[in-house]
Amino acid sequence: MASLITCPHCGVRPKEEFSIRGDAVPVRPAPNASDETWYAYVYVRDNPKGLIREYWHHTGGCRRFLVVERDNVTHEVFSVTDAADLARSASGEVA
Amino acid sequence: MTIAFVHRHVLEDHITGFETKPNPHHITVPRHPTILTVLAHAGSEAAVGAALQRLDGVTLRFCGPCEWLCVSETVSAEGLLRLVREIEGASAFDHSDGRVLLQITGPNVRKILAKCLAVDLHPEAFAIGRSANMLVAHVSGNLARTGENSFEIIVPRSYAGVVFEELKEMGREFALTAGFSEA
Ligand SMILES: [Zn+2]
Repeated sequence: MASLITCPHCGVRPKEEFSIRGDAVPVRPAPNASDETWYAYVYVRDNPKGLIREYWHHTGGCRRFLVVERDNVTHEVFSVTDAADLARSASGEVA
Repeated sequence: MTIAFVHRHVLEDHITGFETKPNPHHITVPRHPTILTVLAHAGSEAAVGAALQRLDGVTLRFCGPCEWLCVSETVSAEGLLRLVREIEGASAFDHSDGRVLLQITGPNVRKILAKCLAVDLHPEAFAIGRSANMLVAHVSGNLARTGENSFEIIVPRSYAGVVFEELKEMGREFALTAGFSEA
């Protein structure tokens, strides 16, 4: 059920509490990156069928940005992680 | 020119006083609760949380990581603000006038709440003392379980009228009454 998202801070919540903020896969380029790189980052999206990663903002709850990994065909949710924790673990920083 | 400001509760026009005696299902509205928002600086969440827990006459409401509401009906906002600001790594702000506290109680309180919020409040799933931010009647607020069958809701002042009317409507089948607390 995609309509229920398990927030790591708040527990199981209906999707109405969230606002979806788009694809979580693109990585923001350096400020001096080429126009082509910036164009691709801002406009070009794959729109895949199946497994996707998105930013979900828990506006009605803890107000944290989450990264939700889900299947847009079966509506199965695989993981929900705090976006800040994810970014910190990616950069090797300890919270 | 001097202006004298008169404190007037935002639900004054909603609670008209036709109901004299509270029924078993009742909403109590404290007139002057103290409500502070407290944020912990990065890295000091556990220490600030533990220090807040030790404050006397204050209950702590969880909002999200590093964020709480401190609620008290006995300690003044100024007094509590002083205490909280002494805690290392904590930032606090007085929101007593910006938030409205609603205390709802009754044997069927979960049936009333189930009609306006979508979180599992079964006694085993939501223990006494637990609290969380959630949508209450489409408004983002904080809900806490304070007793066997009693809950407290904190919503922004400007939404309090809407949430209050919604709760009253949902409680009609149990003859839900409402009134300000005498204290
Ligand atoms: Zn949340």
